[in-house]
Amino acid sequence: MNAPEFGATGIGAARYIGQRVLRKEDPRLLTGRGQFVDDIALPGMLHVAFARSPIARGRILSIDTTAARELEGVHAVFLHADLSKQKIELLSFFLMPIEVPVTLLADGRVAYVGDPIALIIADSRHIAEDAAALVEVEYAEEDPVVTIADARTGAPVHPTTEHNISQEMGDEEIDEDLDAALNGAAHQITHHVTHQRISQSPMETRGVVASRDGPEELTLYITCQSPTNIARWMSMALGLPQTAIRVIAKDVGGSFGLKNTPWKEETATVVAALLYGRPLKWIEDRYENLTAANQAREAEMTLRIGFDKDGKLLASHSDYSSNNGAYPQGADANVAVQMFLWGAYKIPAFGFLTRGWYSNTIGLAAYRGPWAMESLARETALDTAARQMGIDPIELRRRNLLTLKEQPAASVMGLPLEDITPAECLEKLLAYFDVAAFRREQAEARKAGRYLGLGIAAYIEPTGSAGSMPVMTGELAQLRIEPTGQVTALMSTHSQGHGTATTMAQVIADRLGVAYEDVTVFEGDSSRGGFSPGAAGSRQGVIGGGAAIKASDLLASKVKELAAHLLNASPETITITDGMIHVSGAPEMSRSLRSIAEIAYGEPARLPEGFEAGLEAQYRYTPPPMTFTSAAHACTVEVDVDTGFVKILRWISSEDCGTVINPAVVEGQIAGGLAQAIGTVLLEDFHYDARGNPTTVTYKDYLLPQISDIPTFEFVHANTPSQSVGGMRGVGEGGAIIGPPTLVNAITDALAPFGEVPVNLPLTPAKLLSVIEGRDIAGTGAGTAASHAPAPVEVAVAEAPVAAVAAPVPAASTSVDGDWQITMVPPMGPPQEMTAHFATDGTALSGYLESPEGRQEFTGSYDGGKVKFELKVEKPMKITLKYDLTVDGDVISGKVKLGMLGSAKLTGTRIV
Amino acid sequence: MSEHQISVTVNGRPLHGQVESRVSLGDFLRIDGGYTGVHLGCEHGVCGACTVIVDGKAVRSCLMLAVQADGSDVTTAEGLAEPDGTLHPVQQTMREEHALQCGFCTPGVVMTLAALTAGDARPTEEALIGALSGHICRCTGYQGIRRAAKRLAADAGARAGEVA
Amino acid sequence: MKPAPFDYVAPTTIAEACAILDEAGGGATVIAGGQTLMPLLNLRMSQPFILVDINKIPELQGITKETGFTRVGPVTRQCDVLTNADLARDLPVLVQAVRHVGHHQTRNRGTVGGSIALGEPAAELPATSVALGAMIEVSSVRGTRQVAAHDFYLGPYMTMLEPDELVTAIRFPDWPANHITLFREVAQRPGDFALVGVVGALAIEGGAIARAGIAWFGMGPTPIKARQAEAALIGQSLDSIDPAAIAALALADTAPFDDHHATAEYRRTVGKRIFASTLGAILTLGEAA
Repeated sequence: MNAPEFGATGIGAARYIGQRVLRKEDPRLLTGRGQFVDDIALPGMLHVAFARSPIARGRILSIDTTAARELEGVHAVFLHADLSKQKIELLSFFLMPIEVPVTLLADGRVAYVGDPIALIIADSRHIAEDAAALVEVEYAEEDPVVTIADARTGAPVHPTTEHNISQEMGDEEIDEDLDAALNGAAHQITHHVTHQRISQSPMETRGVVASRDGPEELTLYITCQSPTNIARWMSMALGLPQTAIRVIAKDVGGSFGLKNTPWKEETATVVAALLYGRPLKWIEDRYENLTAANQAREAEMTLRIGFDKDGKLLASHSDYSSNNGAYPQGADANVAVQMFLWGAYKIPAFGFLTRGWYSNTIGLAAYRGPWAMESLARETALDTAARQMGIDPIELRRRNLLTLKEQPAASVMGLPLEDITPAECLEKLLAYFDVAAFRREQAEARKAGRYLGLGIAAYIEPTGSAGSMPVMTGELAQLRIEPTGQVTALMSTHSQGHGTATTMAQVIADRLGVAYEDVTVFEGDSSRGGFSPGAAGSRQGVIGGGAAIKASDLLASKVKELAAHLLNASPETITITDGMIHVSGAPEMSRSLRSIAEIAYGEPARLPEGFEAGLEAQYRYTPPPMTFTSAAHACTVEVDVDTGFVKILRWISSEDCGTVINPAVVEGQIAGGLAQAIGTVLLEDFHYDARGNPTTVTYKDYLLPQISDIPTFEFVHANTPSQSVGGMRGVGEGGAIIGPPTLVNAITDALAPFGEVPVNLPLTPAKLLSVIEGRDIAGTGAGTAASHAPAPVEVAVAEAPVAAVAAPVPAASTSVDGDWQITMVPPMGPPQEMTAHFATDGTALSGYLESPEGRQEFTGSYDGGKVKFELKVEKPMKITLKYDLTVDGDVISGKVKLGMLGSAKLTGTRIV
Repeated sequence: MSEHQISVTVNGRPLHGQVESRVSLGDFLRIDGGYTGVHLGCEHGVCGACTVIVDGKAVRSCLMLAVQADGSDVTTAEGLAEPDGTLHPVQQTMREEHALQCGFCTPGVVMTLAALTAGDARPTEEALIGALSGHICRCTGYQGIRRAAKRLAADAGARAGEVA
Repeated sequence: MKPAPFDYVAPTTIAEACAILDEAGGGATVIAGGQTLMPLLNLRMSQPFILVDINKIPELQGITKETGFTRVGPVTRQCDVLTNADLARDLPVLVQAVRHVGHHQTRNRGTVGGSIALGEPAAELPATSVALGAMIEVSSVRGTRQVAAHDFYLGPYMTMLEPDELVTAIRFPDWPANHITLFREVAQRPGDFALVGVVGALAIEGGAIARAGIAWFGMGPTPIKARQAEAALIGQSLDSIDPAAIAALALADTAPFDDHHATAEYRRTVGKRIFASTLGAILTLGEAA
């Protein structure tokens, strides 16, 4: 293919696309007429509160609910045994079973402070809370596992697991060649990054109103990221037919990943409503939101990088760990961190180990750009390396970023790259921001004892994902031109502030040729829109926009066909502009869309033969599997070296999100993500003490950015159309991904005269003052004075010589020929059972693998008990599976490398 | 616990209720009055979403008991626009400046700005931004809110200039 | 969260309020502006049997100049301090401190007396009352007593106030018209409690310091009077003062601790710096004047 032109405009002459159109959502929201879940009140509705564990880990010895039940106004107190009358199985966002048993209310054990134990139903929330305080529980307390370090050595959090690793991918031992490449590199760095725990903190907390409407219907008002996805999830989790479940979420007060799927409390409320038969409302209060709603990030990473003498990347190894908490919404080693780490850079060799760890803390959920650690680690490491090598950090990126001219290409992890533009975004950024002028200003300021810094970072982001995983589908647009000539759109998209009712209306108005004011978009009700995973993975603008375009084009064709018939013209001569139908060259024949619509609905006799009455069309659009967005950002700061306080002076975003439907919405998404990034770097820190007690349980202690913390952002847009219909690229998560390294780099640059700043977020005034003073003021125990020296290459020293490990010698008599029962434990999802058949001819191997999905044949090699063969698969993506097994008698074991997905363990026995 | 008969004027209309002493003004407005534009975002006085105007001043309705508001004049976001739907200048400016996304914090922001720009007040941009530090917005990065504050300060100055 | 149940009474006289507190035998909590108490009630960290609302007691309101001192009624709203011309002239540092208390919306209800009676060690107004040498008037059915602000605070949220007592006035003593003030607060965001802060006033006669009142906030379990620094300053001429040396003395009286937001060492390091720089700056101003 030909590489697209950087900065080309996606959509041609457009009246609404690309305009800062006023949002359709705003009049109701500005006048207090939004409809959030707590605004719903149903006849007969009762209120729910939870009694929760005050300890992080222990066995429940007894629960006494007598006093709670006897309180006036209390209707019921439910425990685990009560809710168990309804079948329920919590599922991950990917609709997979959770890896460890998870119950809605504690089943004999508690695993984190805040773990719900009893559900109270009462006349009011006040009374429900009164009763919750009266539930008496006796515990046998156990020592909790709180941190990742605790998890490595502590007793398993879950009685059903042997250790605290929730998920592991990659190689436990670094590959010998990779290690050699790293150790042989002219420049090497080992870079540690520690990321704190983050509360997503949507301003509207979680909440649900559940109403059982007769024995076969259930209506849910729930604050979520997609009503149709919740309906699907609930149907599967409860084992009820989906048609009986209607989910409504008109307005949602932010989500940022938290509301992807319901969790313990929402589901418990739904189950209680089913069992109790009265509508129930549970609205999470902020204390609960900070102590019991799933959280995000908390991770650490050690990144090794080797460069040649010119600063070109040679090799890298990454070791990543994530604190998954007790009940993550799917065990998660976050392989996406590894997949995208070097996505935009040219590097020949890479290996990784990536792990998730269970702990006695709140479970892990998504947060805007869940894999953002990759950009933080890489971009801060590059700046550190640049300082050590004496290369300008911009120059270092220029030498290593993949340019548009060099594409198509594949990343080191096999990502196909056809139109990414981080290098071009960087150049566009540098054309806008005068680095030389800043460096002069910085030098002058330093003479005066003021420390300014510049941070630059670049990245790519996968957006608009569809088709690679069952839940990640396309989007559906259903359009009607009503008999009034006005347009109604039912979209599968859903807004938690994204403004999709606005952006989709812009697209539809343009493509149909009607006024923006005449298009109304309805979302937020599973009975209206088609299935969608909703706002997850920066996808709605890309996919919903494509669906709106395709459906509009279908409907416009229908209008043209009818108009041509009625006006005795050919369809090609018909145009629709501003709600009027015109025949080219015959202005006197113009008609209103309404007059055509009235005929389409009401006068079947006047329709062309075979023409379906009405003006309706729908299209489900599935884009290419991945659409990349690219960006480069710059920010400048001043660090007060007396106090360690950071003031952000300027921040420039140079991003390429393809066709921009509404610049105000796009900039709003970037700005929101950047504000969250600033919070991440400077303020936010969800903290536990050593006993697993959360210590930041209000917004007085969990510090969110205020208006004074956020500068005015400057935007530079490039618009390289993507290959999806309409040319859009997703923009929802980027700010939260690229923001943290940009700001960290600026702070590090400002403080470079004092030494390296350990990337241990948040960079509080105390931590920065530790660097400035060269002593441990922050109490982190981190060596600060030592940071002046080049970073030690610790990992390399720790490696044991691989050759010293004697490979087990298989019994000489072992033959692999015949049938084997094999179990594969993949990185995601349940273990897979299959049958293998092997036949050898000397060292030549042939055979097949057979599973319910079908049979796949292969050829390979067999030598001294070692079985090696490869299989190519298309799903979930095109990868080559490399099997490496060892036969020992009637037992076979080993692993299979799953390309960029890491590796899976295999074990099997001979079928006799 | 004690209960109290209270009367409050909300958006120019009377609202009477029998309230438990522990009920906050925010809950009273939402549950008894149906003024669901009053959003309870934290109930500990930090987020600002519940801000309403009581007797001319912007206050947190989560940090005031309903019984304490007996006899007060209260304005909520529902009470600012004209009966024909024409937005209040604060609302119109915020709309034009894209000062909201999810809209949950928005009514509180609107009420602070409306209180400070009411009548012939001439707040500076700094004063408005200072007051807005009492509102948490998790969506917008405050860009549109800041622009709206800037414009409202300028407009207030211009209005005062016309009068003078 | 919603508060636990309580009774509510709103007396209209001090005598009535004191009688209720007396009868409650420790089960009552006084609410003034409620901007700190309401979060504690909502979080059920405070669960009184009776809430005594003192907002309807006219005697507790208003700012009046009396001989030798300014009487600030405890139910004076913080926002009213900001617009009071007499305070701006007579006690500018009190006005300066109030600007840093909470946010615009909480200052519209929050009161001077509420903040002072609560005794948050990192709050501005308790330290300001200590620095300026305020007397806190405390009443109960047993009578009325005056407690010096620097004796009033015992620990975090712990004061000399007995359960049956009510703060009925704060008396800020007069400072000479030409006194100079110092105020510096280091907080992570506007409206946050201080990581470290210092507030004070210096009276100057004939080019030398005649009277000094300085206090720290966020530097220990209570607001802390910088006694050694005050003593060292008295009698010194402005041009002979070494701000760094005075700051070191001021630091000697502090007892900061670690919390989630900053370490004791951070507070000491930055406290000493801001003390010295703020003192240095105002001395320069004082000399110029």
